[in-house]
Formats: sequence, structure tokens, C-alpha cells
Amino acid sequence: MTRLTTTADGADLRAPASARRRDGSRDGFGAAFVLMLPAIALYGLFSLTPILFTVWISFTNSGGFNTEASFVGLDNYLRAGDDPIVWQSLGRTFLWLGYHVVLAGGLGLVLALAVSRLSRTRVFFRTAFFLPHLVSLAVVGVIWANIYDPFYGLISTALTQIGLGSWNQGWLSDPLLVLFSVNVASSWQGFGLYMLLFIAGLQNIDQSLYEAAEIDGANSWQKLCNVTLPGLRDVMTFVISLAMINGLKGFATVFVMTNGGPFYASEIITTYIYRLAFQAQDHGLAAVLCILMSLLAIVITVAFNRWRARQAA
Amino acid sequence: MLRRTLMASAAALGAAGLLAVPGLAQAQTLTVWATDQLAQPLVAELWNKLKADFEAANPGVTVEYMPPTGTISNGAVQAAIQSNAGPDVLLTNSGIGRVSTVVNAKLIQPLTAHYSDMGWKDKIFPWLYDILSSQFGGEIYEVPDGIDAIGLWYHKDMFAEHGWSIGGSWADFEALLQKIKDAGLEPLAVGPRNGANGGHLMGNFLQAAAGSTVMGEVVSGKKAWTDPEPLLGAERVVDFARKGFISPQMAGLDQEGAMRMWINERAAIFFGGPWFIGNARAGEYPLDNMGFATIPSDIEGESKPTGGIGWSWMIPTSSKQPELAAKWIDFILSDEVMRYRAEHPTGNQISPREMPDIKPVVPVMVDVFAAAAKGVGYNPSVYVPGSATDTYFQVIQGLIGGQVSAADGMAQLQAKMPAP
Repeated sequence: MTRLTTTADGADLRAPASARRRDGSRDGFGAAFVLMLPAIALYGLFSLTPILFTVWISFTNSGGFNTEASFVGLDNYLRAGDDPIVWQSLGRTFLWLGYHVVLAGGLGLVLALAVSRLSRTRVFFRTAFFLPHLVSLAVVGVIWANIYDPFYGLISTALTQIGLGSWNQGWLSDPLLVLFSVNVASSWQGFGLYMLLFIAGLQNIDQSLYEAAEIDGANSWQKLCNVTLPGLRDVMTFVISLAMINGLKGFATVFVMTNGGPFYASEIITTYIYRLAFQAQDHGLAAVLCILMSLLAIVITVAFNRWRARQAA
Repeated sequence: MLRRTLMASAAALGAAGLLAVPGLAQAQTLTVWATDQLAQPLVAELWNKLKADFEAANPGVTVEYMPPTGTISNGAVQAAIQSNAGPDVLLTNSGIGRVSTVVNAKLIQPLTAHYSDMGWKDKIFPWLYDILSSQFGGEIYEVPDGIDAIGLWYHKDMFAEHGWSIGGSWADFEALLQKIKDAGLEPLAVGPRNGANGGHLMGNFLQAAAGSTVMGEVVSGKKAWTDPEPLLGAERVVDFARKGFISPQMAGLDQEGAMRMWINERAAIFFGGPWFIGNARAGEYPLDNMGFATIPSDIEGESKPTGGIGWSWMIPTSSKQPELAAKWIDFILSDEVMRYRAEHPTGNQISPREMPDIKPVVPVMVDVFAAAAKGVGYNPSVYVPGSATDTYFQVIQGLIGGQVSAADGMAQLQAKMPAP
């Protein structure tokens, strides 16, 4: 059925096009604005306001929420620049992030490839490998701190039992090992989610590509390199972005297992922020580091995605 | 019409009835952040009796214990108060360094008025009152729950069997630790990972090397950490780690781990205060076998425990029941409660005022009282300002783990001290 838009003598029944556009867009915008208002209000209250408040605090000498703060200009930014622990913890944050992407992301990919080859036991292993992700990071920290205990821990006892006691290390006391050791615990908790994402990605790869590769005589390694990994490109981009953001947010395991020690060897930017804000009550400097961390997250994610987009093109 | 009249009458009668029941009209709840060991039956017995007695003395009041999730040291107190999830009154680790943090952030209320109107001034040692009243321009923000006395805990049977004893000079102490090491044991157990226990060891080493007068000047900023006396204390920690008297792997151990080593008799000596008795009991260690000694010092009269105000009651600014909270603290300071706590099987603290004729249930407490009677030195963990506390703990880890030299460590610590 066609709508009647003209009279018998051919006159256009519709309003002039410009007026229609104007009225329509006004009505549409008004309705959209009203519908979006609750979301905008919530976003403003719970996201925008804290962000703006943090930026404001970074320019003050705030010693806590109950204290009067005065404007100090760029003092906190200059202090951050002069503080060697800020730079050390920044470097360790990048190291932490790298460890997390490789350990958690890598393990997630390897296990996804292994689990997807299973048929009858696939659900069992998928569930079993995902289970650590359901455990709170703080609890994971306590468990792994006990595993690493140099005198009573699982690793120390096992090595001693099999006559390799000399291989035992100060997992949490050696400054060169500590960040890696803590990251293993954190990655153990995180790999399950990445594994599930990879499994979902694997299920979306067209099976005919494997059949074609087999007809061409490709072996397993060639199929992995030329079919599977290219097929996972989008999932991999997402997983790496997610792992980088999760890596930047790393806090609980470090706080529980080492408290940033020994002698700042595992201090990352988030644990230093907590120490400044809640132990030393130096909210100004802590706010500067929060802004720095947020900028880092934005820059790293945007840069990585642009790089991936360029590669794909 | 009749139905409306009847309903109005019933509503009026109900309201009058509610107002007539005093318990409902005046019901108040006091949330208390006290011990974190309520899961232990003996500890629960003590605190539940205190709760029942306070409720009986204050009809209509219900005391609710909040399980504490931390202290000022780990930021939990600050986080709880700032997020308005704190209790009405709390017991936490204290000392000028820690208390300054929450005072400066305006997280706790001044209690100065109560020291006069509730007579608290006369319920603590005069010297303790003098210290408290000199810290914040005359304002007092805490009420000490007990005084700490940190020394060396050893196994009586082990030491008797080998003919070992703690005492004499520093050289004698070194010789003893060498014998312990030769016997295949860890001489000293310390868990500096979460700060406090490293501070217990370091405070004792500083006390032995510098004495309490010098350390008093150091922690108050009148003397530098880099001066020869405190520097010697740090050098001795490095020296002991190098000689294997303190295993460098202990830099990654927490206090619980170090306690476990001592309780299982894998280590000979542990640094701690009388609160350690509670942990030993929880670990089913025979309390009669606990020995307490002070660290040997080459300075005459300076072989004494370190300590100061260990734990204090405070009222958060977010407290919904500040007057009732003050009543609770007053109740805790009463003779009956202090005696009950001191003579209870879990009694493991030195009262904040003279309590004659106390008969502690745990025998070793007699030795702790005797050691503290000679005076208590400074535990820097509770005296250094908040800006330097974390560096102090990190430096101790670095000294034990061999990451920093004594001179560099002390210089880093000094850099964090505010100008005198």
C-alpha cells in the first residue's frame, strides 16, 4: 500500500522538506535526550564527577576528604617528576603488563587450542581451567604467598622432597624474581577468561579453510600459522587490549603477596597510589598518579588498536 | 465512619504503646571495631563478656563487633572511615606516626574534653598522659589500650637442652646465634613483608646499638638516622643477614610465616610483644615453654624492650554514637575490665596504668612485666612520622635482603623525615 502524499490536482500534502527535517530532528533529539537523561545523569555522577574531582585534587595539597585543600598549582606534578619511586614503579608497571599479556594471554591461547581439540572432555576441561577466574584476587594472593613460602611452601617442600632443595629460590624475596612470581599468581587467576574468548574465536573459523589446507597438504603447524592464528586476529586484538587494561589495573595480588617489597622491588603504580592515598594521606600526589595511569591506559590501548588496524589493512 | 474512627484509635494506641516501651524508644547500637581474633573461643569469651556487661550497664544499647579488616598501618582504618563504613569506636595500632596520619586527615575526633570530664587523665600513667598531651598542641585523640614491650621470644626447653642463654654483650649474642646456626636451626625468625615485624626486629637492633635516649631524639627528628649510633644498628642487621643469622629469604616472609617458623621450633628466636602469646596459643604451642628476654646491649642499662603505645581506642569523625563510644572507652578503662582482661587467659598486654597485684594466667607475662618495669625503649614503627613509615619498613626489607647498604638505607630514611 502506498501512502497518499498528493491531492488529485497534484498538490503536495506533505510539509516543505526543510520544515519536516527541522521539526523531525527537533522532536527526535528531544525524545532521545529525555530517554538518555538517566544514563547521562548516572554517568555524570559516578564517572565524570570523580574524574573531574581527581583532576582538581591533583592541583591541591589535599590530605584527605575531611581536610581543607588549597590550590598548589603544578606542585604535585613536579613532585611526581622528582620522586624516584614513581619512575621505578612506572617501569615495573610496564614489566608487569608485559608479563600479564604473555603469561595470561599466552596460556589462554595455548589452552584454548588444546581444549578445542578435545571432544568428550572439552566441557570438563573448559570449566576446570576457568575456575581460578572465579576466585577473588586477594584470596589468590594468600594462596600463592603460601605456595611460595621459602620454608613451608609447596614449591620449597616439593623441591626438597625430590632432592632439588638447592633449586629453591626466594620467590618473593629475590628482587629479580618477585614481580614475575607475583604475576604468575595473577595470571593464573586471569587466563581462564582469555581462554574462553579464544575458544569462541576458534569456533568462528570456517572449517572449510582447514579442509582446503589439508587438500593442499598443510601439516598441523602450517594450519596453525596460516589458518588458525590469522582467523583469531580480531579476538587476539580484543584479548591483548583486555589483558593490557587488566595488567594496568594489577593491584590485589601485589598488595597481598609483597606489599610492594622487598625494598620496592614489586612496587607498581597502583600499589604506590594506594600507599600515598590511604597510608600517607597524600591525596594530591596520588591523584597525579591516577591521571598518569589513566592516560597510559588510553594511549596504550589506542596505539595498539591503531597498529592492529594498520596491520589488518 | 465507624471503621475510620476505629482505625485511627488503633493507630494512636499503637503509637502510644511504642513510645511507652523504653527499650524500643531508646534502642541504640554501638558498632565496635576491636579484636580480629573473635573466632578463637577464649578471645570470644572475653569480648562477649565485655559486651554483655556493657549492655547490662546501659539498657537499650546493643554492642555489635565489626570484624576489623586491618589497621592504620595498612590503610584499612582510613579507607573504612572515609567511605563511611567505619565503626562508632575502634581499637587499632597507634603511636604518634600512625595517629598523625588519621588526625591530619581529620578522620578521628579529639578526646581531650573526655580526659577531664570523664577523668581519663587519672586512668593512665602520668608519663603516658604527658606524651599524649604534648603531641598535637594539647589535643588528645586516642586512649591507650595497652603498652607494648617488644623483646626476644625463645623456647625454654630448647635453650635448656643446649645450655643456651640470652644476655651479656653483643659479642655474646653473636656467639649464641652462631651456636644456634651450627645446630641446624634458623637463629632469628622475622617476617618483614608486611612491615610491622621487620620493625620489631629493627627497633630492638637500634635500641641495642643506640640506647633509648638517642633513639628518642632520632625518631623525633632531633638527630639524624645517618648518625653513627642508629647507623650501627642498621649495619648489624646487614651483618647478621650476611652471616646467616637472619636468612635473606625472610625478606619475603610475613609475620605469620615467621611466627609459624618459631612455633614449629624451626627457628630459635622471634621478635615480638606480649600479643605474640595469643598467636602461640592459636598455634597450640605450650605457653609454659615460652621464654622472654631483652636484647643484649653494650650500653649500660639499655638492654630493654622497645615499645610505646601499641594499641589505642579512637572515635572516628564518622561515628554515629560518639557519646556512647566515649562511654565504651570509659568502661574499658574501669578497674573491673582492666583486671578482668589482665587476669584472663588471653591477657597479654601491659595496662596503661598501675595495676597492683595482677596475677597473670600465662607465666611468661611475669617476665614481660619485669622487663618493662625497667622502662621501655622506642619502637620506631610507631614513632616515625607517617611520611617516613613506609620507607622505614622498605629499608628494613632491603637491609635483610641485601638490596641496600646500611648507609644508603639510613640516608633514604632520613630524606623522608620532616624538618625538625
